[in-house]
Amino acid sequence: MSFLADLVSLAAIGAGVFFFIAGTVGLLRFPDSLTRLHALSKADNLGLGLIVLGLIPRAENPLAAFKLVVVWALVLLSGASTAQLIGRALRRGRE
Amino acid sequence: MSSGAPHRKRFSWARLAFFFLFWLMVAGWSVRDLPVGAAAAGGALWISLKLSPSGDARVRAGPLFRLVVRLLRGSLVAGFDVARRALAPRPDLRPGFVSCPLTLPEGEARDVFRLLQSLMPGTLPTGVEEGRALVHGLDLSQPIAENFATEERLFKRAAGHE
Repeated sequence: MSFLADLVSLAAIGAGVFFFIAGTVGLLRFPDSLTRLHALSKADNLGLGLIVLGLIPRAENPLAAFKLVVVWALVLLSGASTAQLIGRALRRGRE
Repeated sequence: MSSGAPHRKRFSWARLAFFFLFWLMVAGWSVRDLPVGAAAAGGALWISLKLSPSGDARVRAGPLFRLVVRLLRGSLVAGFDVARRALAPRPDLRPGFVSCPLTLPEGEARDVFRLLQSLMPGTLPTGVEEGRALVHGLDLSQPIAENFATEERLFKRAAGHE
C-alpha cells in the first residue's frame, strides 16, 4: 500500500514538474507577452495541481491535505485574476 | 425586497462560518485561540460584505456538477495544449483576439465566469467592452467563440441565471 502511494506520488510530482518546465519553455519561446501569459497560467496551474495531488498521500493528516488543496485553489484564483489584469493592460497598451 | 432579506441573512451566516472554518484550518484547533479566530472571521466577513454584498444567486447542483467536470477537463486539456505548443520544434501558435458576445449581467457572476474561462484551453479573457468579452486566443483556428458561448450557457444554468 505504501509502495503504491509512493508510486502515485512520484508519478504525479514528476508529471507536475514536467508541466512547470513546459510552462517555462513557453515563457521563453512564445513570441509576445499575451501568449506567454497563456503558457504560465495554464501549464503552471496543471503542474501545481499534479504536485499537490502527489503530496496528498504524504500529508500527515487530512487537515494538512486539505491545506494543500486550498493552496492550489488560492494560487489558481490569484493567477487567473492577475493574468486577466495583465492581459487587459497589454491589450489597452496595443490600442 | 422583504422576501430576499432572510436569504441574505442566511448567506451572511454561511460566509461567517466559512471564514471561521478557514481560519481553523490555517491556525489549527486550540480553545485559547478561538476568540482571535472569531475576531478574524468577523473582520473578514465585514470586508467581504463591503467588497461583495450578498447576492441572490441560487446555485443548482446538477448543472454545477456538469460545469465543474467540464472545467476540470478543460483545465487538464489546457495544460497539455500549451505544453505541446511550447515544446513543438517551432511553437505552434496562431494568436489573436476574438470578440465574444456576453449575455451575463454585469457583476459578480460575470467576473466569476471570466475567471473560470481563463482556465480553459487557449483562451484568456482580457476585459469586456460594449457587452462583448475580448478573448485572447492562442490558436484562432479553434472554435473559441462557440466554446465560450457553450460554457456561458452552462454557467448560467449552474448559477441559476436562466
